[in-house]
Amino acid sequence: MENVTYRVQRYDPDKDQKPHIQEFVIPFRHGMTVLDGLIYIKENVDNTLSFRSSCRMGICGSCGMLINNLPMLACHTPIEELKKDTITVKPLPNFPIVKDLVADLSTLFSKHKSIKPYIIPQDTAEAEKPTAEFVQAQGQLEEFVQFAYCVKCGLCMAACPTVATDKHFLGPQPLAQSYRYSADRRDSGAKERFKVTDTPHGIWLCHLAGACSEACPKGVDPALAMQLLKRAMISDSLHLRKKPVPPSVAPTPAEKKPRIAVPEFTIKQPGTKS
Amino acid sequence: MEAASKQKVPLQNRLGIKGWAWAGRYKIERYLYTLHRLTGLGLFAYITLHLVANGSRLWGEGSWEGTMNFLSNPGFKVGEYLVIAAFVFHALNGGRLMLQQLGFTLGKPKPPVYPYVDAMRRRRSLMWAVLVIIVGLAIYVLVKFAM
Amino acid sequence: MREVHLKILQYITAIGIFFFVGVHLLVSHFSSGDPESWTSVVSRATSSGWFALYIFILVFGFYHTLNGLRTIILEFSIPQRAIKAVDWTLMIGGLAVFGYAIYIPIKAF
Repeated sequence: MENVTYRVQRYDPDKDQKPHIQEFVIPFRHGMTVLDGLIYIKENVDNTLSFRSSCRMGICGSCGMLINNLPMLACHTPIEELKKDTITVKPLPNFPIVKDLVADLSTLFSKHKSIKPYIIPQDTAEAEKPTAEFVQAQGQLEEFVQFAYCVKCGLCMAACPTVATDKHFLGPQPLAQSYRYSADRRDSGAKERFKVTDTPHGIWLCHLAGACSEACPKGVDPALAMQLLKRAMISDSLHLRKKPVPPSVAPTPAEKKPRIAVPEFTIKQPGTKS
Repeated sequence: MEAASKQKVPLQNRLGIKGWAWAGRYKIERYLYTLHRLTGLGLFAYITLHLVANGSRLWGEGSWEGTMNFLSNPGFKVGEYLVIAAFVFHALNGGRLMLQQLGFTLGKPKPPVYPYVDAMRRRRSLMWAVLVIIVGLAIYVLVKFAM
Repeated sequence: MREVHLKILQYITAIGIFFFVGVHLLVSHFSSGDPESWTSVVSRATSSGWFALYIFILVFGFYHTLNGLRTIILEFSIPQRAIKAVDWTLMIGGLAVFGYAIYIPIKAF
């Protein structure tokens, strides 16, 4: 195809009463992503178009948008993959709109913060003044590492049917991260996080629609994390949950490698005699 | 001096209930969730009517027979079939959901490798098996009702 | 009662309903004879096995339905301070209707 049509939702809260669609027809080139098209529009057609983007390689999560009725990262979506010559781009649903395609993600971040997204170590002395690294076997790492790939893009929250109607629901991203930290053997804060997730607007409003995992661009599979979290919480409430063994610190090696001598400076250092 | 501008409430952009009916280009599991909810509410509505109909028993045989004659109307028979179909769907889909929500049949987490396939899609055979059983039972019940 | 306990009971009642209502449906709709005739209804109503089945169906069914309704209501952005009101309304309304519902098999028995 030679050209591609962008149908972009525009909304300026200072000027518009409600959002409206504006069409742009731009030249297409092979390999172009949706973000490339938006940047072209901003640079050549309408510089008032507002959207977020940063890394343009699917790692920062800034460019989450509703593209042809599915939440996707604009930089990670080649136009050819959509198999249409008309692209409809709207801001992520379930978040307030700041302007045009920019959504206000502050609720996502505050909910994420509420589940204590950090390691709560049992041995605080070792954590604050570490003597060596914690030992973690490959199998123990694989229990949670998939969920550590989250880039906080908000696509899962946009896809979730419960977030669509309930603004108090924690949502797939915070709940998945709650499991990520609770399943980490270095962490001992699972019970503290359960107090946050075991609430009327917590984990139990997830009904396994699976849309969050469909939308996730990093393969995090928040739906799996949430079901594993439910299992952990039920086991814990029935006192069936095995008490997690605190991680051990790596032993000091019997032989230390010889120190490598610092080579002579090739450039005269200030304050030294030549 | 400029007057302070009134802070506008930002446009919320929530999908709301219409997001249950059609939310976007999602796969079948998203809509099985919607159907599970609809069948649950349908069964709730049926239960209230069923209690009212059963209450006619308290006034003896005449009242009961009158209620049964009223309910033998073909329209009610269609409704009866839909209730049984809704129960079959809600029960079997609920069983699948219960197994998956307890962490069974979804497999273990593994580091994501592109192209990403999530646990629900990796283990789709359970969902299809449940759907085949539901459709099979619904057809069997329909044949029984028609006979 | 914590939310997790409510959910565990939801699962238990779901399994119970599957079996009890399944039996009830098979007899009411797929057994030979006329299960809806007055004599059939009276004979089941005065049988202790059937009486127990009806009580189980009512107890499990009411809990499962009301908890399901509670979940759907909570999903409409009910603020924290209103949740107790929702819980009490459902409990009192549910118990009232349950009282009427359980009176029917008890009176017939």
